[in-house]
Amino acid sequence: MTNLPTPDQLGQDQPTPQQHPPEQAPATLNPEALSDRLQQLARSSGIQRWDLGASCSTDTSVQVDRGEAKQMKGAQRSAITVRVWNGDGLVGITSTSDLSDGGLARALAGARDASAFGNAEETPAFSPLATAPLANLEQPLHEPQPILTLLDTLKQAERDLLARHAAIGTVPYNGLAQRSSERLYLNSDGACRHQVLTTASIYLYARAEETGRKPRSAGAVRLGYGTADLDIAGCIEEAAERTIAHLDYAPIETGHYTCVFSPEAFLDLIGAFSSLFNARAVLDGVSLSQRDSLGSSLAVPFLSIRDNGLHPGNVGASAFDGEGTPTAPLDLVEGGVLRHFLHSEATARAFGVAPTGHAGLGAKVSVGADWFEIGATPGSNGGQQGLNRFNHAGPVVVIDSLSALHAGVKASQGSFSLPFDGWLVQNGVSRSIEAATVAGDIRAVLQAIVGFEGDAKITPDGLCPYVWVEGLSVTGEA
Amino acid sequence: MPAVGAIADGFDHTWRPRLDSLLAAGRGAGADLVEIFLERTDHIGVLAEQDTITSVSPAFGMGAGIRVFLGERDGFVSTNDLSDRGLLQALEQALGMLGLARTSTPTTGFEGLGALADFADAKAHWLDRCPSLAEATLKLLEGTARLAHHGRHLQARRASYSRDWQSVLVAASDGTFAQDVRLHQSLGLNVLAADGDHRAGLGRRYGTSGRPDDLRQWDADASAQDVCASVGSMLYADYVEAGQMPCVLANRFGGVIFHEACGHLLETTQVERGTTPFADKVGELIAHEAVTAIDEGLTDGAFGSLSMDDEGMAPQRTVLIENGVLKRFLSDRAGQRRTGHERTGSGRRQSHAFAAASRMRNTFIAAGPHSPDALIASVDKGLYCKSMGGGSVGPTGQFNFAVEEGYLIENGQLTKPVKGATLIGEAKEVMPRISMCANDLELAAGFCGSVSGSIFVTVGQPHIKVDSITVGGR
Repeated sequence: MTNLPTPDQLGQDQPTPQQHPPEQAPATLNPEALSDRLQQLARSSGIQRWDLGASCSTDTSVQVDRGEAKQMKGAQRSAITVRVWNGDGLVGITSTSDLSDGGLARALAGARDASAFGNAEETPAFSPLATAPLANLEQPLHEPQPILTLLDTLKQAERDLLARHAAIGTVPYNGLAQRSSERLYLNSDGACRHQVLTTASIYLYARAEETGRKPRSAGAVRLGYGTADLDIAGCIEEAAERTIAHLDYAPIETGHYTCVFSPEAFLDLIGAFSSLFNARAVLDGVSLSQRDSLGSSLAVPFLSIRDNGLHPGNVGASAFDGEGTPTAPLDLVEGGVLRHFLHSEATARAFGVAPTGHAGLGAKVSVGADWFEIGATPGSNGGQQGLNRFNHAGPVVVIDSLSALHAGVKASQGSFSLPFDGWLVQNGVSRSIEAATVAGDIRAVLQAIVGFEGDAKITPDGLCPYVWVEGLSVTGEA
Repeated sequence: MPAVGAIADGFDHTWRPRLDSLLAAGRGAGADLVEIFLERTDHIGVLAEQDTITSVSPAFGMGAGIRVFLGERDGFVSTNDLSDRGLLQALEQALGMLGLARTSTPTTGFEGLGALADFADAKAHWLDRCPSLAEATLKLLEGTARLAHHGRHLQARRASYSRDWQSVLVAASDGTFAQDVRLHQSLGLNVLAADGDHRAGLGRRYGTSGRPDDLRQWDADASAQDVCASVGSMLYADYVEAGQMPCVLANRFGGVIFHEACGHLLETTQVERGTTPFADKVGELIAHEAVTAIDEGLTDGAFGSLSMDDEGMAPQRTVLIENGVLKRFLSDRAGQRRTGHERTGSGRRQSHAFAAASRMRNTFIAAGPHSPDALIASVDKGLYCKSMGGGSVGPTGQFNFAVEEGYLIENGQLTKPVKGATLIGEAKEVMPRISMCANDLELAAGFCGSVSGSIFVTVGQPHIKVDSITVGGR
């Protein structure tokens, strides 16, 4: 047997047997040291141009089940992605979790080999904004709590939620997690981006069942920069309210209804169709938008959609994207008109504009939205005023949460057909819908928005009020 | 040319003493059971769009997952650091989660690792035998070219290839010591057709395990014909009319209905959570008598097949439902400890970063006596689901899945194509309504995401008839 170090030796480096190459991942990223190592390795391999994205994180999380610890987890993760440009200017890429010198050398060699298959028709370049100033994000760093403290906190949260209603028998999906992480972007022209972050999250999904009735389930999630600033009471309250509100259910008749999307549901729907705003998808021919769609009407004249990763409500926002471009707000739709696309360096070059800070890092660079702000365009009438589902003349369907977006959304076609949880509200009375789907076309939805109800709410995916949409097809089991 | 980034080094004999020491330390600290999962991975992803290779993405990695059980509780820690120090820190963190600490007292309760069950030996050259990148790129370009040849109004053509090689070593304080090499390859063809306001997008994925030559033998022309025929049908399809109706679901990926509606509910993870309606139904009729359902990890080359599961146990053929009667649950180590259901070789995980959980492998409804035509002929008005998209199941047993290619059945005949259908229901209600099974069982490769990550699985079935199900549409 190998002799293991005793507990009091843990702070010291241990000798590694000769037959095992050093494989130790650093606990943190040192930008200067990593840059020096890469520069040295690249030089010895004859690689002139490279860039790198790296991340490392330490996570702890707990789950509980009826007062007992169900699972406690810890994780140390590290990963890098290296791109190199070969003598013909073609790009290759390799990713690895091995941050040892051997791993870095192998990654560089792999990227160089892959560059032989680089796409000559569209070669990524360094972002011209990779050294531009970054926004100053207010992201307090929290010390991690001991895992047994997390466990006690979650046990208490579970107890509190179970105590909220006799029908709530279990909280089958729950978790309390905290993460300390670092991100890094470096390139051979001297760009160096580094971000350190701590985040925490709690989710509680309760299951309730009354005698002779079907089980019902609902939940809530909260994010924060540390477990100490998580709104756990709010999470319990919301999970309980939602679950209890689904206990009295009935099937709904199939038909066309005015639907009121919750902020979470509408943000999910817009997120699923975000290829509308994605220059990469436009260039690839898989977006509903075309190159010349900018300036055209996409929605009712009072709707605005903005991507704003820097919003203070976006917990864990990134200060820069995968290419080192600063994160920045971008108006996508203003007054119903499509104004801008989300860009990487390559798509921005193709459109003759500046990168917008929405890129990943790859041989073919992906583009994605950060965090949406949806609401009335300033200065517009904001649609129908005073909307209130409990004071509405006819029946309305409240869509609280959508499911199976991965399967039921055809982003390149515009159509969707999605199961949802929600309520039918008639004459001021709300009753949960047993099981139903909502179907439509996103372009029709955006043109059929009636107005907004209530104040915009901050969610993990963005900021949005309740959104009223006319004439959607709902399939029920009545 | 060898595969880019290939690192065929697995885990050699020097690991035994290191693992022995860690397991002894864990048991000495008072753990009931300690399990260590080590992996190295080597991945290649290639994408062809139109007639150009647009992405080649190699990746390689390594890591360990250490799990410690004490009674029904467990602590799990994963790390990319495979040094002695890194592994020891992970072990101590996992022990600490359960209130245990390593001590200097003599080890008790650990007799050392058993003989190595080596499933990797015969697979040492798998990675070398896989297609080179040059071969892979040419094959994908052949695929997109055949799409162009067979398709009409194609706005986007994509072919993708993914090769995942994984070397794993599992050691546990009950003596389990086993290693394996896994190789999964998959190919995808996707198209988007557009003609004026009509748009249709569709894809097919083909996948196998343990067959290094698979890509070379892929019939790109036949696959392209299949995809183009389907998207051609769907391009001008009307939206399906919503409502309750009988459905005939085609074989192969039609099996996603059983996977989502029932399969997940027969995993012990669901028993542990109290989220399956079948927890106390073993021996009872839970489905129509026409239904026999099986989960196994043995079919040669199938996407969900394994030489051993991620807990070192050889897979088996598990009859879940026989003639409608529930026979067994799929179980892993934790499932056995917490629910009493014996392990079935179903402990699976995406990577070292996940603790294993009871998961499906190759899951299918067994063939029945009918011809597929007989099922369609038995429906006056309903829906034929030729091709399925993905699906999911919720915590109350409500499932859903999308229909990618559908046709109306009118007076026992297939008539016009329809799109936009989503099927929803509850397992307890829909399983008794599967009233007819045809004689044309086929399997299809897929990916399943759940508590222990995304894993390779196979779904399958013959053509089946569901007497009534809710079809969401317009």
